[in-house]
Amino acid sequence: MTDLVLVIEDEVAMRRFLSAALSSHGFKVIEAGTIAAALAVATESRPAAILLDLGLPDGDGLELLRKLREWSTTPVIVLSARDREDDKVQALDAGADDYLTKPFGVSELLARIRVALRHARGQTVTEDPVLAIGPIRIDQARHEVTIGETLVHLTPIEFRLLAFLARHAGKVLTHRQLLHEVWGPRSTQHTQYLRVHMAALRKKLESDPARPRWLTTEPGVGYRLRDE
Amino acid sequence: MTPLGRSMPPALPSHRTGPRGYLFAAAVVGAATLGGMAAAQHASLADEAMLYSLAILVAAHAGRGPGLIAAALSVVAFDFVFVEPRYTLAVADTRFLFTFLVMFAVGAAIGTLTVRLRRAEAASRQRERDTAMLLAFTRDAAAVPDIAGVTAAVVEHLRAGLDLEAQGVLVPATGPIEVNLGRLSITNEQRRLVEAVARQATIAVEKLRLASTAREAELRATTEELRNALLSAVSHDLRTPLAVITGMATTLRETADVAARDGLDTIVAESARLSRILENLLTVTKVEAGAKPRREWVPIEEVVGTALRRVDDALEGRRVDVDIADDALAHVDPVLGELLLVNLLDNAAKHTPAGTPIELGARREGPSAILEVRDRGPGIPAGSERLVFERFFRAASGTAAGVGLGLAVCRGIAGAHGGTIEAVAREGGGTIFRVTLPDGEPMPTFDEPPAMTGEAGP
Repeated sequence: MTDLVLVIEDEVAMRRFLSAALSSHGFKVIEAGTIAAALAVATESRPAAILLDLGLPDGDGLELLRKLREWSTTPVIVLSARDREDDKVQALDAGADDYLTKPFGVSELLARIRVALRHARGQTVTEDPVLAIGPIRIDQARHEVTIGETLVHLTPIEFRLLAFLARHAGKVLTHRQLLHEVWGPRSTQHTQYLRVHMAALRKKLESDPARPRWLTTEPGVGYRLRDE
Repeated sequence: MTPLGRSMPPALPSHRTGPRGYLFAAAVVGAATLGGMAAAQHASLADEAMLYSLAILVAAHAGRGPGLIAAALSVVAFDFVFVEPRYTLAVADTRFLFTFLVMFAVGAAIGTLTVRLRRAEAASRQRERDTAMLLAFTRDAAAVPDIAGVTAAVVEHLRAGLDLEAQGVLVPATGPIEVNLGRLSITNEQRRLVEAVARQATIAVEKLRLASTAREAELRATTEELRNALLSAVSHDLRTPLAVITGMATTLRETADVAARDGLDTIVAESARLSRILENLLTVTKVEAGAKPRREWVPIEEVVGTALRRVDDALEGRRVDVDIADDALAHVDPVLGELLLVNLLDNAAKHTPAGTPIELGARREGPSAILEVRDRGPGIPAGSERLVFERFFRAASGTAAGVGLGLAVCRGIAGAHGGTIEAVAREGGGTIFRVTLPDGEPMPTFDEPPAMTGEAGP
């Protein structure tokens, strides 16, 4: 089964690269250069995943994302520049699944798409109470975390943070999403608490917390629990 | 300094209160006497007395003094000319003494009332003039284009309207305007007017300042908008080709043979470098334009983690020893903080021999976070410790490539946080780059935030 990926990008050269990279890895690709075309194609062809450049010339990529999210849960990965953290956060909070910062290589691109497709499909699968990320095992039923054979003692907040990250393993989660999940809807401004608890979590789970292998920071955006 | 003309409240015209006023009074009484004598055939004594009352009324116009003198003269003349025995000051009928008394009292009362009336009239005329002067000043002060115009209007109107020569007009940055009148002694009335003028001038100056602040803000906004538009255009136009180059090179690399792979790796690495230079250029421009960093309380370890991940390739396998004291926090913009460390580490990697150790240290000192990148390289030539942070400075002996933007970016980022960066010679050889980032606000206590919802873990 070949997955169809919709590439929404106005730069021809960029579209050519994305098409070439995706085609050579077994995806079918369909392109759109404008928001109007993208909406038509998305409705008609029902792609498995969408790559969306936020800097489209004929309007706001964010607007397209919102329209799309009214009727579709198709995973969307936004493409953006490094100094555009606000755009990324806005897009993620508006329902985008992940982002890629230009320039990016083909392996990064494929990794993001794979994670997005897996999560999109995972929605129909019954949830396993035990999540495994590398050597980390999270038993959601028993509230236990082990690394290898060792039991790790986490505070309730740390456990909720880790479990939420693990349920979305490989996918970026914004500060707002994490705060909302762990502390509730009224605490989405308290980023400093989140940072301090993430630091504590790293100390308990990472062998070198200054070079995290699993709990990585996405500067200005949020956190990601890597799963590869 | 002009001596003050008037030392009295608005008063009667002065030329009537001199000796001429008294002569006028005497003349009027004389005329009344002559008139009375001429009409003596047809008039009673009471009529004569009335005639003198008229004379007193007329004389009182010259002032209170002339009025009183006229009253006294009238009594004497009436007694001398009309009362029996005539042409003596003797009085046959003592009832006339009472008549004299009443005549004098009437005269004095008329004189006083007249004077009061004239004074009130003069005062009202003066008030009218003052109001007109204030109005004229307010109108003029509102029409001038700048603060100098307002002060000129103050001087001009004080001179024209009040006959006062202002020595200077002080316009402080805030608060009311002060008028310096030198050592002039002025009346309360004048003081009140000068103060009113100063108040009006203050309002006029405030209006001008508000208008100019609004204009400046508008100009700044326009400039900012232009710069941002330019930056995002440049950034987009350069970044897109870089993204394509990187993407295509990594795609080709997947199927390339070993020889081609090396070349493609170089393309990817150089594109990444170009991308970083672009980021530095954009950041230094933004920071120097006064863009405010978005400071947050961040564990330094987190910033170090993202920086190390980004310079991994540039370090080419060199180890960086990290020591961060006591989970130190910094009040820093996480994105700028990362870029600062990336540039310091990149700089260390470029300017020190392969294999020499690089250390990254962080700690807190009072209300500041201290970040240090320490190397064992050749060190900075004496005298260049400050120059290295200048834009486009390049080490003379250096063989490493670079446009010398990295350390300038570091200085810009530290400066934007109100902090400093310095390069100091390290004991035993090498250099320490030390960044001091003072907290922008007191460090919060990290108690639990309110409203933790749902059930907690075990």
